[in-house]
Amino acid sequence: MTRAAPAGPRRWVPWLLAGAAYAGFVVSLYLTFVHYRGYVSPCYVVHGCEEVQTSEYSVILGVPLALLGTVFFALMFYLSIGLLTSSRLLVLRIYKVLAFVGALAIIPLFLLQAVVLKAFCTYCVATEALMLVLWVVSFLLAAPGQSGPGREKAEAGGG
Amino acid sequence: MPGKHLLTAKGVPWVGASLLLLLAVGALYLFTGAAASEPSRTPPPGADDISFGPADAPLSVIEYSDFQCPFCAQYASWLGTLREKYGDQVQFIYRFYPLAKHQYAAIAAKAAYAASLQGKFWEMHDLLFENQKEWSESADPRPFFNAYAESLGLDLDKFHADADAQSTADFIAKQAAAGKQGGVSHTPWFVVGDSVVLPRSLEELDKLIQEAL
Repeated sequence: MTRAAPAGPRRWVPWLLAGAAYAGFVVSLYLTFVHYRGYVSPCYVVHGCEEVQTSEYSVILGVPLALLGTVFFALMFYLSIGLLTSSRLLVLRIYKVLAFVGALAIIPLFLLQAVVLKAFCTYCVATEALMLVLWVVSFLLAAPGQSGPGREKAEAGGG
Repeated sequence: MPGKHLLTAKGVPWVGASLLLLLAVGALYLFTGAAASEPSRTPPPGADDISFGPADAPLSVIEYSDFQCPFCAQYASWLGTLREKYGDQVQFIYRFYPLAKHQYAAIAAKAAYAASLQGKFWEMHDLLFENQKEWSESADPRPFFNAYAESLGLDLDKFHADADAQSTADFIAKQAAAGKQGGVSHTPWFVVGDSVVLPRSLEELDKLIQEAL
């Protein structure tokens, strides 16, 4: 019996990023719908969501954080597709910058819940975890010596 | 760029990705728009329930609620409207379900139960919810409860004695335990007829009652 040859090194990385971005998009979109439909959510026995979702920090300059999250994850999802299909170094760079911005955003969001509100919303924590995943995994996109998607073509392009 | 290749093989991933996003939008639009409903496992209306409306009404609306829950306060104003509208056809029942995470939920429940023993439950219920912010954010809510009791013309000595009585704590604990056993996981928890429902607007709750009548 012969073993199938493995796929190219780290070809799974953009797929993982696309999956994580899609999951983040779904969760953020759910919170956005809940926000704009003006629904009243219940108080769950477990401490958390209602305190965060109804706080003054859930909206910035009239824009719900959930909507910003939805746009962010949709953008990251499309960029992941770009990483899978495009050879442009620009896509990789934009991805990394946005992933870093997302990771930076986690800090105030998490601190608000932990220190100010003293309550954690499961949905919010899930999106923060996914933002962290996007940033951490994005390092694998340009690991030295790897020919993962984007990398080899970027190098060929003079990047 | 994606737009350039939409109708070619290169465009397939972009079209597929866009369809996936649209699928999520459509599914969540439908999911967040539907009111959930399931058979109730909590006790049916009983003689010791605190209620509004005729005991032999064709329909009962049971609410498990916590006076310190901000969402219960929102629903309370809707229920006030519906009590006026359906007061002669529907029996509205309030059941105590003070959540442990709310510091003053239990003492507020005791105040409401003590008021019920003087026939002023719904008046105290409304005052507690209308003024939830002021007492729930105070260092000591009791002066507020005393003021509400006084404004309702309650016998304050009896009010205090009833609020502190073991029988009051037992009544509240019994209702909450029965609710927990019946699957209550959040407040407010509504049972319209035999079904657990989670209406998300006054109109939705009104519609559910109309359909059940």
